[in-house]
Amino acid sequence: MNPEEKQFNEKESLQLITEMIQKAKANIHERGTSAIMWGTVTAIAGLVSFFQQYYNFYIGFDIWLIVFAAVIPQIFISIRENKVRKVVTHTERAIDSIWIVYGISIGCLLFYINVVPDVSAKFFEADHGKEAMQNFPRYIFSSGSVFLILYAIPTLATGIISKFKPMLIGGIICYLFFIISCYTTGTWDMLLMGLAGIINWLIPGFILRSRYLKGKPC
Amino acid sequence: MFKDLDPILHSQLRLAVISLLISVKEAEFTFLKEKTNATAGNLSVQIQKLKEAGYIDVIKQFKDNYPQTICKITPQGVKAFEEYVNNLQSYLSANK
Repeated sequence: MNPEEKQFNEKESLQLITEMIQKAKANIHERGTSAIMWGTVTAIAGLVSFFQQYYNFYIGFDIWLIVFAAVIPQIFISIRENKVRKVVTHTERAIDSIWIVYGISIGCLLFYINVVPDVSAKFFEADHGKEAMQNFPRYIFSSGSVFLILYAIPTLATGIISKFKPMLIGGIICYLFFIISCYTTGTWDMLLMGLAGIINWLIPGFILRSRYLKGKPC
Repeated sequence: MFKDLDPILHSQLRLAVISLLISVKEAEFTFLKEKTNATAGNLSVQIQKLKEAGYIDVIKQFKDNYPQTICKITPQGVKAFEEYVNNLQSYLSANK
């Protein structure tokens, strides 16, 4: 292009605008690294928890701690991706924001699950006395269902914004898992959470990786 | 009506740059160079003209010890681009 000298008419002008907008759109390349990592971690944690509870054994530590551990590689992945990123699209910005809010919400939910049972117990004891505390449950009922709702929100939103069908379908299936989990025990909720990790993030992550390696925009 | 087209935008490279920037939040100089196939010198001159017109913001910084130039469209640039497209559409409609 030698733009300064060359005259161009109104049709060429519109063509140029369209071409450049298409070029900017085609530049969105998601490697799928984060999706693969979080999908793997959630799937392992959910499935191991399910098998532990179903077959009544214990691996010696809380498997969900690997989810916390995964934050460290995520920081490195984000730094590396920002280094090679030459352009930030409005879509990427919106999706990034959704996942940051999701991360904060998961943190708040974990806080809720750890704090509310004891606080509720104190209030219950104050109202009904110490004797009534014998049968008071010190846990949140079907907490897995709430996690499944949270898993579905950013997945479905990302699927809709980026028109990425695997995540769109994953998000919808996750809502179905949520409904199922309302009727199942905590053991089966763990299985659903593990499967949600596979369907929501692991499979879409591999699809994104495959597209990235083939050089296709997504 | 065609005479009314904004002379700042009615240049191929400047229009290409603005069209790219309207689609993204921000872009590096190297991205604009790659997409427009322009030379670095020519692109720098046109970016400077767009900056002087208040249509884009240019941020110069260092990233891993290398200079980095980031460009983003301003609200004034968005308005000018919209007016330019509207004028183009009016012109095309009038010539149908």
